[in-house]
Amino acid sequence: MGEIFGGLGLGFLNAFQPLNFLMIVTGLVIGIVAGALPGITMLNAIVLVLPFTYLMGIVPALLLMIGVYGGGVFGGSITGILFNIPGDPMNVPTTWEGYQLNRQGKTQYALGLAIMSSAFGGLVSALFLAFLAPPFAKIALGFSTVEFFAVVVFGLASVSVLGQHSMAAAFVSLFAGMVLGAVGTEAQYGVERFVFDVPFLKTGIDFVTVLIGLFAIGEVLDQIVGTAEPAAENPDTRAVPRLPLLDLWPLRWPLIRGTAVGIAVGGLAGAGATVSSFVSYGLEKQISKEPEMFGKGHAGGLVASESSVNGSTGGAMIHLLTLGIPGSAATAVMMGAFLIHGIQPGPLLFTKQPEQVYTIFAGMILANLLMIALGFLAALSFATLMKVPAPILNTFIVVFCFIGAFALRNDMADVWLTMLFGVAGFFMRRWDLPIPPLVMGVILGPMAEQYFLTSMVANQNDLTIFVTRPVSATILAIAVAMLVWPVLKRMRARRNA
Amino acid sequence: MAAAAPLLGIALAVALLLASRGLDNVSAPGQLGPAFWPRLVLAGLAVACLAKAVEAGRRPVRVSRPAAPLARGRLTAAIALIVLYVLVTPLLGFALATAAFIAVFLALCGTRAPLVLAVNAVAGTVALLYLFVKLVYLPLPKGEGSFELFTLALYRALGIF
Repeated sequence: MGEIFGGLGLGFLNAFQPLNFLMIVTGLVIGIVAGALPGITMLNAIVLVLPFTYLMGIVPALLLMIGVYGGGVFGGSITGILFNIPGDPMNVPTTWEGYQLNRQGKTQYALGLAIMSSAFGGLVSALFLAFLAPPFAKIALGFSTVEFFAVVVFGLASVSVLGQHSMAAAFVSLFAGMVLGAVGTEAQYGVERFVFDVPFLKTGIDFVTVLIGLFAIGEVLDQIVGTAEPAAENPDTRAVPRLPLLDLWPLRWPLIRGTAVGIAVGGLAGAGATVSSFVSYGLEKQISKEPEMFGKGHAGGLVASESSVNGSTGGAMIHLLTLGIPGSAATAVMMGAFLIHGIQPGPLLFTKQPEQVYTIFAGMILANLLMIALGFLAALSFATLMKVPAPILNTFIVVFCFIGAFALRNDMADVWLTMLFGVAGFFMRRWDLPIPPLVMGVILGPMAEQYFLTSMVANQNDLTIFVTRPVSATILAIAVAMLVWPVLKRMRARRNA
Repeated sequence: MAAAAPLLGIALAVALLLASRGLDNVSAPGQLGPAFWPRLVLAGLAVACLAKAVEAGRRPVRVSRPAAPLARGRLTAAIALIVLYVLVTPLLGFALATAAFIAVFLALCGTRAPLVLAVNAVAGTVALLYLFVKLVYLPLPKGEGSFELFTLALYRALGIF
């Protein structure tokens, strides 16, 4: 323990060096802004800064990337809360609750909760990384695609909590999303599925087009037609977002649960922030005493998903630093930065370059503390956009969606898809087909397929592998319970009535 | 239309299931082929649509926000405008198409003051060009023929190129 404290002390001294500190701040700013812009994901931002790190030393290079990573996973929540446009898929659950809070006139409250819970989740996961990375990595080594599949199924099972009026409608939406996720060239055999000789479908449907279209364009059309539920008088938007330190106390359990889920999903399963945010949100609704309030601006749902998103960052870094295995696409790019500088991440890193490792730990802790201030400033800047008249805002949202979709592959086909999904989103709203399950299906469906097929290949098509491995069996049992419980509850309520 | 949606979903699932024939030709013996997962998901979609159809038969489909006749006109105009914007952008280039779209869409949303329309269209487009072309190096469509020449001249005038 003394060695860890000593190492962290040295790490903080390094992190506070002017250049290193500047890199953390720069990274956070880039990450928050990129995360907030639809179509420019946190991963895009990390890839974009990678060439700039060639000329730096390994420590400032990694601190820059850590800043982008931490800021990027948070940034998308700001536009999600303010405009119903999640910057990244991982910010979708936050958007469901945060935007509703905004519509109720609680903009400051929602933004403040997002900032504080992000910082809390990130900070705890960074401390966890610093103190418990090696033993945690040993447990993680015992996990395989079987457990990863179980975690993704758990995320998909949370669809049962997303069907506000009709479970059947939620499943229609979920499976429709999974069908969309299956379009394109299949990874294992390279076979084209449901492409119908349309060239741009060969590479599949990018989930960002679905995300931007359904949420942003659908919302704009809803507002233009005037059927969107009117927003409450919103005195909040005039003032700065507040940091609700005291407001967090009643939400301490969702905060702790969300952070724990983030660390576990990010660290053990290596499944990343997107899966952890869905899992955390679904779990929170199951546990909540007021599940009917989810989707209507539930602060606990927001806090749980937001803390799990940033909580997963430390977890994902455990894989990278201790095992040399990137747990997510973002950490894979960071691994590239290590290798460019001639350093091989893995168990030997802790003995060969302890100073650099502890500087990274200190940098992560510092980045999450700085994120409170920078997130606050970013939220303040974006919140001023709320004063812009609705017609102007709606018009520019359409243009930003155009640019965001085009930026994916510099292809107008993605813009067409986005607009198509926008119209679909409008009609889904009107027909009470829930949008969140469709988004979940598009994002998690391909992950589930990949883990399922890999598990089958590795285990001679033995389906029992999912129930004979204890961790996988437990997670799947909870997922099944999540699906069955609401049905049983409704049946009991009907019988009592 | 809302009541017919589940039946359309079943028809779509069946059509795609039929389209998945032949996908498994490449699979290795004893292994699950590339059609396994989509078929599983399509079967799920069909069952969910069936459940939704049964549910709709038992109780009327809940349409929460019926559109007023005027709103339908605005909706059609908005969708048409968005489609037109995407359609003409490769031809006119992002700069011209966006400036025109901003002005017309703002008018559709109820903005009438010519100065507001002009300022938003021009200043908004220039700001977007600086941000995404100059800073992010995004190759937004420049248009074709004389429109491309116009875009390039505009970029030079703005100092983007």
